[in-house]
Amino acid sequence: MIDAFLFVGLPYIAIVTALVAGFARARSNKYGLSARSSQFLEDRQLLWGSAPWHIGVGIVLLGHLVAVCLPGVWASLLTIPGALLTIETIGVAGSLLAIVGITVLIVRRVTSARVQAVTTIMDLVVVGLLLLQVILGLMSAINFRYGAAWSTGTVVPYFWSLVRLKPDMTYVADFPMLFKLHIVGAWLIILALPFTRLMHVLYVPLGYLVRAPQLVIWSTTRRRQQAVVAQAQAESRREFIKGAAGGAVAAGLLALGISEKLFSFFKGPRADLEADSALLAKKLQRLQQTAEERELELERQRKEMILIGRYSELTENKGKYFTDYRMAPGLAFKGKDGLPLLISAKCTHLGCTVGSEMDNQGRILCPCHISYFNVQTGEPNAGAPAKAPLAHLAWALVDGDGKVVVSKQPFQPAQGTADSALLAQCNLYITKPGLA
Amino acid sequence: MRASLIFIISFAAATQVHAYPEFQKFVTANSGRPVNCALCHANHDGPEGTAPGQIGRLTPVEQAELGRARAALEAGANVNSPILNAFGNHIIDRLGKKKFLELRVAPAELAKLLPADSDLDGDGIPDVQEYLEGTNPLDKNDGNPWRLFQNNFKRNFAQIMLTLAATVAGLYALRHFLRGFAIATRSHDESEES
Amino acid sequence: MNLREQFAKAQTYLAERFPVEKMNYASMVEKKEVPVHRLSWGYYMGGLALFFFLVQLVTGLLLLFYYQPTVSDAHASVEYITNHVPGGALIRNMHAWGSSLMIATVLVHLLTAFAMKAFGKPREVTWLTGVALLGIVFGFGFTGYLLPWHQIAVNATKVGLQSIEMVGQYLPGALARWPTAIKEAIQGEASVGQATLSRFFAIHVIVLPLTVFAVLAGHVISVQLHGMSRGVDEPPKRMEKFFPTFFMKDLEVWGVAFMVLFILGMCLPFESFSAYPLFEPFDPKGSTPDGVKPEWYFYFVYYPLELLPFWVILIAQHVAIAVLALTPWIFRNTSRRTLRVLAVAAALYLIIMTVFGGTIYKLFKG
Repeated sequence: MIDAFLFVGLPYIAIVTALVAGFARARSNKYGLSARSSQFLEDRQLLWGSAPWHIGVGIVLLGHLVAVCLPGVWASLLTIPGALLTIETIGVAGSLLAIVGITVLIVRRVTSARVQAVTTIMDLVVVGLLLLQVILGLMSAINFRYGAAWSTGTVVPYFWSLVRLKPDMTYVADFPMLFKLHIVGAWLIILALPFTRLMHVLYVPLGYLVRAPQLVIWSTTRRRQQAVVAQAQAESRREFIKGAAGGAVAAGLLALGISEKLFSFFKGPRADLEADSALLAKKLQRLQQTAEERELELERQRKEMILIGRYSELTENKGKYFTDYRMAPGLAFKGKDGLPLLISAKCTHLGCTVGSEMDNQGRILCPCHISYFNVQTGEPNAGAPAKAPLAHLAWALVDGDGKVVVSKQPFQPAQGTADSALLAQCNLYITKPGLA
Repeated sequence: MRASLIFIISFAAATQVHAYPEFQKFVTANSGRPVNCALCHANHDGPEGTAPGQIGRLTPVEQAELGRARAALEAGANVNSPILNAFGNHIIDRLGKKKFLELRVAPAELAKLLPADSDLDGDGIPDVQEYLEGTNPLDKNDGNPWRLFQNNFKRNFAQIMLTLAATVAGLYALRHFLRGFAIATRSHDESEES
Repeated sequence: MNLREQFAKAQTYLAERFPVEKMNYASMVEKKEVPVHRLSWGYYMGGLALFFFLVQLVTGLLLLFYYQPTVSDAHASVEYITNHVPGGALIRNMHAWGSSLMIATVLVHLLTAFAMKAFGKPREVTWLTGVALLGIVFGFGFTGYLLPWHQIAVNATKVGLQSIEMVGQYLPGALARWPTAIKEAIQGEASVGQATLSRFFAIHVIVLPLTVFAVLAGHVISVQLHGMSRGVDEPPKRMEKFFPTFFMKDLEVWGVAFMVLFILGMCLPFESFSAYPLFEPFDPKGSTPDGVKPEWYFYFVYYPLELLPFWVILIAQHVAIAVLALTPWIFRNTSRRTLRVLAVAAALYLIIMTVFGGTIYKLFKG
């Protein structure tokens, strides 16, 4: 019951009263509408009170306003890592500033004789209410983190439900007493608005933000000269302040965005176990490949003959790849006479590996720039980008006992003969170039 | 004699073609991008040979997996063939080997039969689209450049906006700093004109 | 003319080219003014190139923390940076895009400086250092391209280095083997491998940066001392103050360039424009993928090389370099109008050969 009054009845009473009474007062007592500044009476403490109060509460209220008016944007802004913490920190800093400010103002109201002379009871009520409200808000923020995030799902829809005249207090019914008091305090402040100095909230001098700098120049020569210097100083000071403000925003955003990422970059990834072991497996595989390449190189440096495969693996139409003595690719075919035909597969144009399929004209194709090489002669076709022929390679056929049965050097006839039965049992080797 | 017979039989079995170049030809022709066997296979030169990811280098455990994958004629077999990459295994898993072999004459149909929402590399481009466009469905940095740009832009929109805000604020700050500096260091005989 | 007079003449010549008396705050900052005319946009190009260079320095330094220059680990380390290091993909992509943007800006800077006759007296030294920087920048591109050690990197480098070897066919007798020897000296071994990767890495990361610092310092000091050249023949209707107006606009151009580079780095992987087989780890024993080409900024040499006889390109290249280096003296009396026409012609050639080179090649070769 009491909840219904506090969260539905009170808000509407407060809003209606503020509107009606405020309007009436504005019409009937236009010149009485003011914050009744006491600056002429006491301005030292006022500076240390009013400035921190207004700046602090301005920051906090700005956050409240954005959350209420643009909850979607607010929620997506908070998804950026670090944004929530930053915003909450700014809010806490603002509210601490506001508390310091309002405390100084209370002390001023209560201790300065001049100011007491113009203080009304409502002034004291207002200043007490404001202090209480900010303290309640700060305690809510600290005890029930993180308000910036949970408010979009609770307080903001509650507020809009009131505006849409479909009040739904279930959004806020389950909150702890501390926070409920904060909500009630807000409605009380709105209720008090037309009857107190809080009216000054309605005419914030926004124009002052963009007003041209006012220069008061006394009309003597000396003062005029001083004014010129002072103007330059003031102008450059204004520019520096704008620069500092922009720089602070830029630095803040930069710190927010980059610092965490830079730290992570240098810290390196902490991948999960599965990703780590997959990475390690890949590195191991690459190392093994390098090791195999080194082994091949060593083999080619040490041995006079290197095994490629069995004679029976060779076909006439599809070559078998192997690595020759210069670590370049080579192809082994079965020639028309039944003997092996070994040819370098490193294209003489730009070094691509030539394909192993022989077409019906007895040629193999290098796919990179389309050169056809005749397997028998090694010559490229006319007009091909490759100009030099593929070299033939020396080979030897060795039988089961390790005896060289047939061998051939390029440009020379084969040495030795064998019948097909013997050949089928032989292994094919390449022989080191430069040897007979 | 028996040894060589066994050898000849196993050699004949080994020469049976296990790669399906019809798909490669289709993708290259359809997309204009030259693709290689690594679209579906573990090794970029295909399954035959002795390099890593090819048949000639499988351990007995892996050979058993290969046999299971080859026998997966129907869909849903949850295959893990060592000569296929995740996309290749995804194809056999969703279609089954029988349907896949039937598609050799109509490779374009593969795009219609695979699930349209599957995106194995998470780059925002569905696998079937990457298949048709000849980009790697397992690499989130490979895809149609314009589509990748759009997807990444949406995903990183907040970051980009914040960076823009930081840059604008920084330039604003520099502009006013420089102006303030210029005004402050202006020699006074110049300022008399005002 | 006796020795004393010759000496005096040389002194005057050098004093005009190196106006050290202008090295004070008043001349360099306070009083400096920049002409405002329709080619004034060209004044920003040099600074923009410098900006991209600074980006490359920073991103390159960050990459250096994780890259491993060995043939077994280079590709894996780049993959590690892209897929596992937080922010690594952004840094790597910005480095790749940054290199292309830097080279494009350098070429525009060259053409605008030429068209504005910025090499005229007394700015010859600026021009010469600029030509040296052009060569260095292409050296950065060529050496850096090899480092990821994927198919297109290694094969394109092989193709590029092979063109040195092809000079041998024109040399007589024993000299014919010198180009091969030179190529193998550059490579460090008979074919591109670990020795090549190690030295390209050293060149890319230490030798060229140190060289650039030295030459760039000379170039920038020379520009700052002389100020911006007039750019057009008509006397300028308006001059703007260098500080803070022009300087600030320069920084704003940097801001825009940064945002463009950042968005490209975040959203558009550099390698998505080429077929993926080109970026697989280099496999010396396997097949070479289709589409092996050097980077786009070499197309203006690469496609003519494929289309025309080698000796034509050889001669044209040397003539072009000689003309570039001797521009301040060859074009000393050329009017700005003619220079603009030449610059536009050169720009058209570069653009057409770069963008349509592949199509032209296919047209002629079928």
